[in-house]
Amino acid sequence: MNRNPALRDALFAAIVLILVLAIPMLHRSPAFEDFIIRLSAMALFATSLNLLVGNTGMVSFGHGMFYGFAAYAFGLTMQLTELSLPVAALFAVALTTIAAFVVGAMCVRLSTDYFAFITLAVQMLFFSVIVSWQSLTGGDQGLRGGIPRRHILGFDLGSQLHLYQFCAIVAVLGLLALRHVSMSPFGNTLRMVRDNAERASFVGIVLWRARLLAFTIAGGFAGIGGVLAALFVSGAYPELADWPNSGQAIFAVMLGGINSFLGPVLGAMILLALNDLVQRFTEYHGLVLGVVILAFALGLRRGVLDFIHLVWSKRAR
Amino acid sequence: MSGPVTRRTLLAGGTATLVAAPWVARAQANTLRIGMQSILSGPIALLGTSSRNSLLVEQDRINAAGGFLGRQIEFVFRDSKGQPQEAARVARELVNTAGCELLVDAEASSASFAVQEVMRDLNVACIHTNSETSSLTADPKIRVPTAFRVARQGVHDAVAGSLYLADFANAKKINKWATCSPDYAYGRDTTAQYLQFFKKFKPDVEVVTEAWPKLGQPDFTEVITKLIQAKPQALFTLLYAGDLSAFVNQGNVYALFGQMTVATPNVDYPVLAAIKNLPAGIQSATRYLETFPDTPANKEWGQAYFKRWNERPTNWSWQNSVAMHFYEAAIKKANSLDGKAIAAALTGLKINSPFGADGTITMRDDHTTIGYAIGWGQTIPKDPFITDIKPADWGKIIELETEWKKQQNYS
Repeated sequence: MNRNPALRDALFAAIVLILVLAIPMLHRSPAFEDFIIRLSAMALFATSLNLLVGNTGMVSFGHGMFYGFAAYAFGLTMQLTELSLPVAALFAVALTTIAAFVVGAMCVRLSTDYFAFITLAVQMLFFSVIVSWQSLTGGDQGLRGGIPRRHILGFDLGSQLHLYQFCAIVAVLGLLALRHVSMSPFGNTLRMVRDNAERASFVGIVLWRARLLAFTIAGGFAGIGGVLAALFVSGAYPELADWPNSGQAIFAVMLGGINSFLGPVLGAMILLALNDLVQRFTEYHGLVLGVVILAFALGLRRGVLDFIHLVWSKRAR
Repeated sequence: MSGPVTRRTLLAGGTATLVAAPWVARAQANTLRIGMQSILSGPIALLGTSSRNSLLVEQDRINAAGGFLGRQIEFVFRDSKGQPQEAARVARELVNTAGCELLVDAEASSASFAVQEVMRDLNVACIHTNSETSSLTADPKIRVPTAFRVARQGVHDAVAGSLYLADFANAKKINKWATCSPDYAYGRDTTAQYLQFFKKFKPDVEVVTEAWPKLGQPDFTEVITKLIQAKPQALFTLLYAGDLSAFVNQGNVYALFGQMTVATPNVDYPVLAAIKNLPAGIQSATRYLETFPDTPANKEWGQAYFKRWNERPTNWSWQNSVAMHFYEAAIKKANSLDGKAIAAALTGLKINSPFGADGTITMRDDHTTIGYAIGWGQTIPKDPFITDIKPADWGKIIELETEWKKQQNYS
């Protein structure tokens, strides 16, 4: 059954995609569609972070900067040029990947704690640039005026259904690509670096190079999430690049499980659903969310999917 | 399928309910739901709450009068925490899930722009009640057919304030000014806008120092000493809410108010309540004041609010109240709840209002209100807190606003 894991993953992705695309044909629910659009962005964001946290053992507190960077790069390209949407999106993601490479080059040689701090520091620097550079970014008011949602390949992204389909396809393909990275020999190398950096180094792996590559790839995929987020709000706002947003991704990873590929997706799903639900009933949502997360952390002592895996494997034995 | 309910079943059931609930909730059939979103948590929740309070008073009044088109109204309140992406989501949720047929967007500036974009996709009417940033409706690229603003607009206040302060400065021969405003877009943009008009009316004005404290800064010592050292004759400040009261309280310790005349457009009842010793003689605008306009209708409204909530209303309160007056009149006129029909009815609509400079407020063709009361006077330590109020000249405001819009290529 495990003879061709890549094919199995692709098959699984195809089934999920078909299911997700089929739902609106059976029943239209704008709220559900909004949820999936936001989940697409958040899932890519959190899963790309997990390539660093879970696979490589690098806890980045500044991952939100790439999410925000791509949102601004995409929004500005769409507003200032006549480029078509896919070209603008690819350009934004490419620019974000380069930014991730540059930031990574500065950060990856540092040990765990300092790495976490410096990623946070660079993010705060980037956030300050957004807020201060008013003539370009609109400062703390954000990039206003909307993103022209031009038609692409028959998709009219002004229509919610088409945006839903577009986001679902991008997210599933993005996650599939991340899965490939994670399962590739390079992914194994990253896990080796995480588990025993010294041994990896002795085997001949250049640690900083592996970490930098992982950081760059993660930044690029967070960028894809950022583009989807910008499409959803039809703009870009400093909050997308602020540290609480990075914190959300870390929450999603921890909540869903760092050792399961789909953990961050589940975490993002729980976090978004909780946020939406709790806000309906109370203004003390922070308190409720805190209690729920505490209950998960103390009750399961690991992410939900990791917990399920553990229980499953114990049963199998 | 019988048997004891295990903990696992309970957990599974609970999780399922948790996940399914967002898409299950629906309104009762005939009640007309109106969505309202604002900042209801965090440091400036007070303003969001004062908007909600005012809408609840309106809800009771409208329902007692038979509702809208014979349907009772019910508000659905949501907290966006003032975050734009959350505001965009909440606006869609209010319409798509909670089944709201009208929206009151009581967000502050940046979130209101996010809501504005969402409105392009939703065919419901929306009134922004708290965003004062002019471009929201002044810029034709940002304007949306079904979205309107019932609130002060930055450029109106800047013209009115600058005119008043120029007269005041000329009479008192005050040329040397300092500014002290919060260090973010609102503070910097609006200070620049006031200065632009101010210099137009009083070309010999000189700005000797500028201070830009951070939002929510607890200690203003550094700012106050900087201002005192620069020895200006007068200080213009755009600090607001808790920052303004903290600044005045700390400024009192340094006798700042004895050394320079202070002018601010941002005094509101909660700020006054938080100031221990309100210095006399601050030149101040009336954001909301029970005594301006000095009419029985305004007083009655302010006192009804106080009676219900045991606190006094804010500027955000009257704006939300007027939004409902506009909806009421427009729905009656359109005889429909359709977004486009309401939009057509709202455009150019003039209503009687306790908060109008001449007893009326008009929704202009560019989807923003004009004719609301703007006045400047000076503070006294006790009720009514601001006296000698001079009403602004709306003819002049509109003339200069038109000029400004041309400069910005808005018209």
